[in-house]
Amino acid sequence: MTMTTALKPSRVPRGLFPVGILLAVMLPLILMPLASIYVFAARSGLEGFINAITSPEAQFALRFSLLIALLTAIINGGLGTYTAYVLSKYRFPGRDALNVIVNLPVAIPTVVVGTSLLLLWGPIGILGQFLVPLGISPMFAPAGVLLAHLFVTFPYMLGAVKPVLDELEVTYEEAAYTIGASQLEAFRFVILPALRGGLFSGALLTFAHSLGEFGATILVSGNLPFRTQTAPLYIFAQFEAGNIEAANAVAAVLATLSFVLFFALMQFNKKSARA
Amino acid sequence: MSIRLTDLTKRYNEQLVVNRVSLEIRDGELFVLLGGSGSGKSTVLRMIAGLTTPDAGKIELNGRDVTYLSPQARGVGFVFQNYSIFRHMTVLENVEFGLRIRKTKSNERRRRAEELLDLVGLAGLGARYPSQLSGGQQQRVALARALAYQPAVLLLDEPFGALDVKIRAQLRVSLKEIQRQLQVTTILVTHDQEEAFELADRIGVMDTGRLIEVGAPETLYYQPDTEFTATFIGGGNVLVGRKEDKWIRLGSVALPLPPEAAHTDNGAPIRILFRPERTILQSEPFQDRAIQVLGQGEVIEQIFAGAVQRIVLEMEGLRGVRAVAPRAVYGQSVTRIEVIQTGARAAENIFTLGQKVWVGLRDFHVLDPAGLKVLICVSQDASGQLAAEMGSLLAHATHGPATLLHVAARPELAAQARDYLETVRRAFAAQLPGLDVRVRVGTSAAQILLEAQEGHYEVIALGQSASGDTGFRGLGSTARQVLEQAEVPVLLTQTKRVSLKQILICTRGGEPGKTDVAFGGRVARRADAAATVLFVQTEQTTPEEQKRAARHLLQAEAALAVQGVRGKIKILDGGIIENIIRQADADDADLIVIGAQAPRGRPRLRWQNFATQLVGAAARPVLVVPMNE
Amino acid sequence: MSERLLQLNWSRVLGRVVIVLMVGALAFYAVEPWLPWNTPTRPRTIVVYGFSILGDVMNKGIFPAFQKEWQARTGERVEFVASFAGSGTITNQIILGVPAQVGILSTELDAQRLVDAQVLTEPTWRALPHNGTLNLTPFVILTHKGNPKNIHDFSDLARPGIGVVHADPRTSGGAMWGILAEYGSARQLGLSDADAANQLAGIWKNVVAQASSARGARTQFENGFGDALVTYEQEALYDIARHKFDGEIIYPRSTVESEHTVVVIDRNIAPAERAVVDAFVEFLWSKQAQNIFVQYGFRSVDEALNGDTFARIEKPFRVSALGGWQNAKQNIIDALWKEKIIAVQPK
Repeated sequence: MTMTTALKPSRVPRGLFPVGILLAVMLPLILMPLASIYVFAARSGLEGFINAITSPEAQFALRFSLLIALLTAIINGGLGTYTAYVLSKYRFPGRDALNVIVNLPVAIPTVVVGTSLLLLWGPIGILGQFLVPLGISPMFAPAGVLLAHLFVTFPYMLGAVKPVLDELEVTYEEAAYTIGASQLEAFRFVILPALRGGLFSGALLTFAHSLGEFGATILVSGNLPFRTQTAPLYIFAQFEAGNIEAANAVAAVLATLSFVLFFALMQFNKKSARA
Repeated sequence: MSIRLTDLTKRYNEQLVVNRVSLEIRDGELFVLLGGSGSGKSTVLRMIAGLTTPDAGKIELNGRDVTYLSPQARGVGFVFQNYSIFRHMTVLENVEFGLRIRKTKSNERRRRAEELLDLVGLAGLGARYPSQLSGGQQQRVALARALAYQPAVLLLDEPFGALDVKIRAQLRVSLKEIQRQLQVTTILVTHDQEEAFELADRIGVMDTGRLIEVGAPETLYYQPDTEFTATFIGGGNVLVGRKEDKWIRLGSVALPLPPEAAHTDNGAPIRILFRPERTILQSEPFQDRAIQVLGQGEVIEQIFAGAVQRIVLEMEGLRGVRAVAPRAVYGQSVTRIEVIQTGARAAENIFTLGQKVWVGLRDFHVLDPAGLKVLICVSQDASGQLAAEMGSLLAHATHGPATLLHVAARPELAAQARDYLETVRRAFAAQLPGLDVRVRVGTSAAQILLEAQEGHYEVIALGQSASGDTGFRGLGSTARQVLEQAEVPVLLTQTKRVSLKQILICTRGGEPGKTDVAFGGRVARRADAAATVLFVQTEQTTPEEQKRAARHLLQAEAALAVQGVRGKIKILDGGIIENIIRQADADDADLIVIGAQAPRGRPRLRWQNFATQLVGAAARPVLVVPMNE
Repeated sequence: MSERLLQLNWSRVLGRVVIVLMVGALAFYAVEPWLPWNTPTRPRTIVVYGFSILGDVMNKGIFPAFQKEWQARTGERVEFVASFAGSGTITNQIILGVPAQVGILSTELDAQRLVDAQVLTEPTWRALPHNGTLNLTPFVILTHKGNPKNIHDFSDLARPGIGVVHADPRTSGGAMWGILAEYGSARQLGLSDADAANQLAGIWKNVVAQASSARGARTQFENGFGDALVTYEQEALYDIARHKFDGEIIYPRSTVESEHTVVVIDRNIAPAERAVVDAFVEFLWSKQAQNIFVQYGFRSVDEALNGDTFARIEKPFRVSALGGWQNAKQNIIDALWKEKIIAVQPK
């Protein structure tokens, strides 16, 4: 592997003062709130922490969150990659508009996403009013949570994969064709491996966002423990109910999981930047 | 024949990118397509590979029609300018990819890949990733990858374009060696002349979608057929002289007409090419009879560049001779030529600015005559006959290539139409030996316009049948549509003329009038005809317009003189049509040239009536020149 | 070079294996409950949506008791799926279509909204025991330990310099009860209409934090916000019993007793579940259930069960004293609080 030679800048600014200011800002803004999760978790003792984590409701919420995040990452992984491929490769009328639309979920408040899903699929919704009497009711059910998460996290996969695809010259694929690869083979052997980095970081981002999704979930899930309650909803419910230990324990787990994901992503990006 | 292209055509958004390219490439040949950017050379290559679908034409590889096959089914090797090697695969994996797709056994695959890496000079680097290779090495990988599965043909699209000069030279040598060794039929596309000359067995020169000329490098350099090739490849002097029996007259100089030069009439323009390095300069007059003397010139520019010395001379004896190349500088009155002295001569003969020296030519080359390219639209009736006669008269007089076109309404009529056109062609064969024949199927006007655009014709000739006392029924719908939409001049004929000696150019005052004068003058120059430029002023003409018209006529006279056309100018008062007819009768004009308003503008209708009336009343051929306002 | 590559590869392979194992374990952990061997025959479920302070009493008291009773009676297991949030929130959720079968709302007003939204065909809760009222709890004031700001009645909350924590009446039924208490008590004690309104305005000028539910407001107060919290007596009693609250309960001379309404949402009850839901609703008013409520700090609808568990309030009143919920909402919440107080106060 290539070694990055450390470039010695000719003049290193002696920046203790600016660094100090930065720390002074970051400390109360980001670091201290995060730290307090762990401080509180530690305060209730290991036993209390384990009890809080292993309560059936908390276990369900954590597993359900992980499952939904996993499914979201897989489904949006495929869907996002396909969308990116089409948007990047094909020229068609309305392409620019579609490009904006698929990125829209980033800009829409998640609460609005939840509302819009309810107004479509819910019992009083546009489609729901016909479907619910037939027994098809995705809202207030795991399917609804998945729908909301797919919606909210859709752009992340796209955002990770599309730039890579855009950067990939047309000739890259054409080269595979002239060599004799079918369109499928070209995608499988040539395009997909080139996307590996984007796919991985996109899936990780999607997973992380899904794990933390709150605004849309609380609306479409009905917040039912043992049915549709995700970890963030559990945290909120327990906090509202005054069970701060229970809320905090799961919050600490969620935060830790996010840290691990985030560092995995950083590590990966660093590695792929070196390659 | 490894590769055969027939009438390959491609349009992008109505723009002709590749225009009827026909080409045959021999087995094992290294063929170079040379052209500037946008000439369509890469598109041709991509069509052969199947990456772009042609709109028309046929592609055969080793006798197999592959025109509409997918790239995968063609078995060609393609090397892209940007390498496009797969960056997540090692060098070896890249080279093996084609074999892996073809399900070759892994040990066989490995053996073959190693062999190729050896061949392209990358032995031992198989385990590396592309990011660990230089650009030149990457392109070598791309070459090995394209050759691994033993493709029927190898196509290279500007393969060295992204590399620096030194690497480029090395790779060229490698490519030539590998190509020789493998004997794989190869087409390389480039804009780099040096590259083309170094590599090619044969070169095809492309410009604006057309394959202009094909030939061996030496032939294209010293004996090109066309002016484009002569000026596009290398530096060259192209001068326009006139034929005088067995001589080419260039101002006060006469060069012997080579016997192999294409037949032309006396007085017709002849373009000669001589390369700067095929000239000799010396301070004393020439004694050697083998050297064609071009007279004395004055050194006005001298650049010493080591091995060669580049000199520009003003040739007093060539005053008034038109030079296509080098391009005349603004305000230049005396013809200039470029000369290059090489080797010992460059060292011995150091000339000073202003010095008078004798210029001799070791040899020169006569380019094919370039006359007006005429599209003659022939229908199977009297008017068709008229169009054929007048069109071929125009083509003959202007030394232009001409095509007979018939538009068949239905496909089943095409064969019969072709037979008919053959008889017409034979009738004119003596006059126009190069006459071409073409049949299209569809709506007359649309097909005529399409053919005119695709074939780069300069004039469309249409016949008009006469009948009854008035002798004229008005324009047919085809003629009307062609007139409305054509971007090139349209010749309307309803009476026969036997020669083209006298031309009447009816101009309008002002800027748009320059187009008709210029085109009329061009016809006159090529046909060696006399011209009258006429302006008719009516009661509506304001004094300002009169003044402008007078100025315009004087300019027109000067312009004709520059073109070497005998011309006079005339201003008449009264009705436009009456005056045109009166003047035409007085001159016994063989052709009336009128300018038409912008074809798509509103005034078109008024003008069209006017043209119609003129055609009906004048009983002479009318050439309608579209003007861009 | 190649040796180094080889070594590097080993650690890479090991790293990969570890990562794959970790991801695999996580995935298995997530999926495990849904795997076939883990989904035994589904027990009967009852879906209950309750307003916030009911969370503990239902989850720890009522549900287990009913499960035991039902199992004893029929041998069947019954599971509860329950969600607790602000009364307004769960009412909205029920209107939007959550599959709630039984709702326990903190005001009759929210029940009426279900009728307006055609979730209920008519005020069906009136047919239930005690007009659907499940239990009661008076509104009291909580202060920090030692009552440092010397607060003894609602009128004290209007004093300048007092910070009041209150739930938001737009989402919380408890907050509406709070407003009725703050205004109504003044009327009960003989103040004029205008003076009562002034008292309410004074209190709301002092509101420093608004949570979406009564529970949320209490959590904020326990986290140190403000000097006083207007909330259910039950909250304070229950927390003191659990040693979670270390402050004072201040009983005003007069206050409202909130009535909590049970609604049965027929459209969400499949015929097969009818019996168990009805049995559960009936159970709610049983002596056993009402005793559990008392244990958790609610005052029972059956005075006899309350005994001397609860402190005496001088002049308690119910919403009927203010002309019923419809009038109280119109005249006090909407016309007075919403339009005259909140609208003119910079928030």
